[in-house]
Amino acid sequence: MLEAIGLTKRYGANTALDQLDLRIEPGDIYCLLGANGAGKTTTINLFLNFIDPSEGRALINGMDVTRSPLRTKQEVAYIPEQVNLYPTLSGLENLRYFSALALGRELPRDRLLGLMEEVGLDPAVADRRVGGYSKGMRQKVWIAVALAKQARALLLDEPTSGLDPHAANEFSNLLTRASANGVAILTTTHDLFHARHTGTRIGIMKQGKLVENLESQAISDLELQTMYLRHMGGAA
Amino acid sequence: MNKLLQFRRLRMVMAEELRLLAADRSFWVVSLIFLLLIAYALSNGLHQATLRAGAQSAIVHDDAQRRAGQLDKLQRIMAGKEVPGPFDNPADPTHMGGGYGAHHAILPPAPLAAVALGQDDLFPSQYKVTYESRISFIGNNDIENPWNLLSGHFDLSFVLVYLLPFLIFALGYNLLSAERESGTLRLLMSQPLALWTLLLGKIATRAAVLLSLAVLVPVATLMLARPAALSGGGTLVYWAATVAVYALFWFALVLAVNACGKSSATNAMVLIIAWVTLVLVLPSLLNLAVGAAVPSPSRAELATRTRVLTAEAMARNNKLLSTDYAHVGKPGVLVPKDGSIQMAGRLRGMFLIEREIDQKIAPELARFDLQQERRQALVARYSFLSPAAVAAEAMSALAGTGQRRHAWFMRQVGDYHAAWKQFFFSRIDAGRAVTVADFSRIPQFDWQEEEGSTVGRDATWALVQLFAPCLLLLGFALWRLRRYRVV
Amino acid sequence: MILLIARRDLLERWRDGRLLWAGGMILVLLLTALAIGYEHRQQARAEQRAAQSADYADWLKQGRRHPHDAAHQGMHAFKPEAALALIDPGINPYIGSTVWLQAHRQSEVMFRPAQDATSLQRFGELSAGWILQVLGPLLVIVLGFNAFAGEREQGILRQAVSLGIPTRAMLWGKAIALGTSLLALLAPAALLACAATVLAADAGTRLDTLLRFGLLALGYALYLGIFVFLTLGVSAAASTSRVAITVLLALWIGNAVIAPRVMAELARRTYPTPTRLAFNHALDADLKATSDRLWMANFGTTERWGRDVPLDKWGKALQLDDHASYKVFDRHFGGLWDTWERQQALQEWSGVLLPMLAVRALSMDAAGTDFGHHRNFTDAAERHRRLIQDIVSEDLVKHADPLGGQHFAYQSGPELWKRIPAFNYHPPAAAWALQRSWRSLLALCAALGVAFAFAWRAASRQRAY
Repeated sequence: MLEAIGLTKRYGANTALDQLDLRIEPGDIYCLLGANGAGKTTTINLFLNFIDPSEGRALINGMDVTRSPLRTKQEVAYIPEQVNLYPTLSGLENLRYFSALALGRELPRDRLLGLMEEVGLDPAVADRRVGGYSKGMRQKVWIAVALAKQARALLLDEPTSGLDPHAANEFSNLLTRASANGVAILTTTHDLFHARHTGTRIGIMKQGKLVENLESQAISDLELQTMYLRHMGGAA
Repeated sequence: MNKLLQFRRLRMVMAEELRLLAADRSFWVVSLIFLLLIAYALSNGLHQATLRAGAQSAIVHDDAQRRAGQLDKLQRIMAGKEVPGPFDNPADPTHMGGGYGAHHAILPPAPLAAVALGQDDLFPSQYKVTYESRISFIGNNDIENPWNLLSGHFDLSFVLVYLLPFLIFALGYNLLSAERESGTLRLLMSQPLALWTLLLGKIATRAAVLLSLAVLVPVATLMLARPAALSGGGTLVYWAATVAVYALFWFALVLAVNACGKSSATNAMVLIIAWVTLVLVLPSLLNLAVGAAVPSPSRAELATRTRVLTAEAMARNNKLLSTDYAHVGKPGVLVPKDGSIQMAGRLRGMFLIEREIDQKIAPELARFDLQQERRQALVARYSFLSPAAVAAEAMSALAGTGQRRHAWFMRQVGDYHAAWKQFFFSRIDAGRAVTVADFSRIPQFDWQEEEGSTVGRDATWALVQLFAPCLLLLGFALWRLRRYRVV
Repeated sequence: MILLIARRDLLERWRDGRLLWAGGMILVLLLTALAIGYEHRQQARAEQRAAQSADYADWLKQGRRHPHDAAHQGMHAFKPEAALALIDPGINPYIGSTVWLQAHRQSEVMFRPAQDATSLQRFGELSAGWILQVLGPLLVIVLGFNAFAGEREQGILRQAVSLGIPTRAMLWGKAIALGTSLLALLAPAALLACAATVLAADAGTRLDTLLRFGLLALGYALYLGIFVFLTLGVSAAASTSRVAITVLLALWIGNAVIAPRVMAELARRTYPTPTRLAFNHALDADLKATSDRLWMANFGTTERWGRDVPLDKWGKALQLDDHASYKVFDRHFGGLWDTWERQQALQEWSGVLLPMLAVRALSMDAAGTDFGHHRNFTDAAERHRRLIQDIVSEDLVKHADPLGGQHFAYQSGPELWKRIPAFNYHPPAAAWALQRSWRSLLALCAALGVAFAFAWRAASRQRAY
């Protein structure tokens, strides 16, 4: 479960995030929409304790991320917009290393291969150097890491940007499967369509504030688009 | 639970870093270059050390041969089989005590001499000691092209003090910044991995590789090429520790610079500037400052004063100097009779002049020595500002080519000089000839090696001076890491 | 167009702060070194002057004594410290400047300044010359490493090339910008240094000092020019600025830190010098052989100063002995010093690839603080010593020998002392220094040619993206 209570982040005079109150239950897929600079990535960075909040708290499964940074990181898996792996290692070697760090122990090779298969990566590709992978392939490796972690929460930063429609669809299915397993998911995105169809709840951020917070079923595609553009109209 | 998991993760990071380094071509290039530099420096050091040892033993051999020849000649003279010359008479104490009979006081090389060749002009290792004043034999050192003295030696100490930091920079300047710039840092930090663990693992791997090259290769080579080096006992261990702590300082600096969170390019620039400042500029600035604070008395003045004293002494002994040599036409004069020998008036006069100069110039020389001591003390007090200066002096000290061992040598030379003078002055004043039995009583220079405890104490102090800034930098790094921006 | 490129480049360097910080630090160091060098030099020169005149005054004031003893006490020759030593002290810290002109011995320098040095001496002296030789290239590298590579990374180079700007214009423009930055930084220090040295120079040598300063400036201009083109060339050839600066730093370390030591060891092995023991043995053996031949021919015995040479021939014997030894000394010491000069020449030639060695030699030569100048001084001192000896010997032959068996009872006085002139040494002229510097100048020019050719080729063939 992911929870933000009065979460605020200021950089000098600039308020990047203003009193965010959010609660994402297990099984929820919360899609955070907003323009560039609205505060979406800041929110994710706060949950990951990459930055410290100016006010308020971020909780993962009831634990404050600033108080128990390592413990909370065990509970959450993060997938950034741009996944960059170690280019001189192969996909499998990257998976082995990161999953070992995540779990504190090394996974056996067949389990790793199984994970690769689960995310749809050809085993022939697994032993090739990551320097030659496409963006989608790198993301799949990282999803494999996330799966290996078996975390109870997922943080995703614009995961479908740059993916072709087929890959994007595959990804949405993955999210749905995870949420069915009781994982709490927070994803930031520009993609209104996927937000409405994959997400269970939608939030719209504008200049650091959460201006809309609603169930995705309670609104139609057109209504969502109109609402979104209305908020973006006044954006700086 | 946390501690244990972090320790396991630390091992993982180290293992992976090793793998990443091995896959990185620049790492192999850097290691190979380092290995070549060490190999060349060691071979050069061994070669030069061998040459020097050879030159010294040639001197010892030469001295012994001359003495044996002189003894032989004296026996023949006493047996009446040979007539002595006026200026090379082994029975005449004014000759035997002067350049004719003088031997060299020799500072033998220490077991680790190949490691830091030192500068022979700064600290010469042989003096031909006569009854003349110290001035006359102190300046007369080995022949070396001053251009080469200016350039310095390519020895292991040079490679470790000057070049090792660069290799540490090459491997570590972008420790964290590269991960951040390539985006892998946030992937790592989204796992239950402490930033400190990651950094420690990275540094430990690199330190292990570089230190095994910097310490193990020379130790192994020395063991094979110069097994005597092991007899040094603790010195080899101290040397290894000095290299390790010096390297640790630079690793700590790399850590501190990385912890500030700037870009790779900025890190590199900061480190280069630090190297230029700590290794190139500060030591020479310190040198200048010490020279300005405690200036050396004027050598030109000393030369003038010596000349004035010489003139006065010559004037006082003019009568003796005007005596003509009596041996021309009467060679028998030069042979000792009943243990006494008639010393030519001029020679006696010149001897008296020398003795007078020696006594009168002694306070001037003492002034030089005092200033030199004070200068050296200042250097010892303030060299902590430059770890390179501390490490260079420490390595020289352990190799036996440092200032302290040389000062100890000079003290022993002074004692030997005094004993030599005493032996010959008593004979000259009494007009007693040098007998065959006397030959075995002529003072010998017996080198007493430094106490192991002195060496150990200084080495430990150097280690402390190197370690303290390490701790400061580590503390600083820890403090800055708290604020490190992962994204 | 070239000037347009140069101006923009210069502006950017000023704005990003590199010129200010890096250049500022170097300037501070330079001014410090110049100030300290000036003070040292003034002090040394004053000392020398006083000592030299006191020396001759004492010589003239000598009471009546046997001339041989006067020659034994001898005179001192004090080497005048060159005015430009405040910029480049050269080998002076490693070789003495006081020579004792003594009878019967080839004069050798007395005290080496290194005797009074502390263990920090091994780190070298901070002089303006050292700063320019070691840190100058580093400054050039810091200012210019990303001249091409950085623009390539930012995509700007691609845009510039798409406008049709020829690479030759870019190269010249950037070279001019880099050169102008250096000039802006170093010109004030150079003017100050010039003024200081001209002020410090002895009267009558001001023009000469100025000419030498010009040679010095030329040398350093060539040297830094080499690095300007090398830096630009590497920047053009490297794929990223990171690669560029790594390569340049490696080259800098090789040139400034490693090369002098390695080449010194190499030169030592190629032209080895004997140990003092070996040298003395050879010298003594040669002296003995010469002396034996001479004494046999003149006195019928090889026993020196023995019973077969009566006291009334000692003046003549001394004269013969000294004259014969001159040639021997010249042969041995000359051979030794020639070997040293050969060692240096080898390193000067290596300057084509390792410019630091060539510029170091040129700098010391122009400043008058290299071994060539020192040898000039010691040769002059030795000539003066021989003059003293010859005059004294002649006097002895004329007045002491006729006294029969009372050679040493003869005493002479001021009338003889006056006949010996003061040691009046003038360092050689700038033209002499220029003539001797041909090797290093040639090497520097060759290196500049190589660097320029490299930069030209690299700039023409570089990738725009």
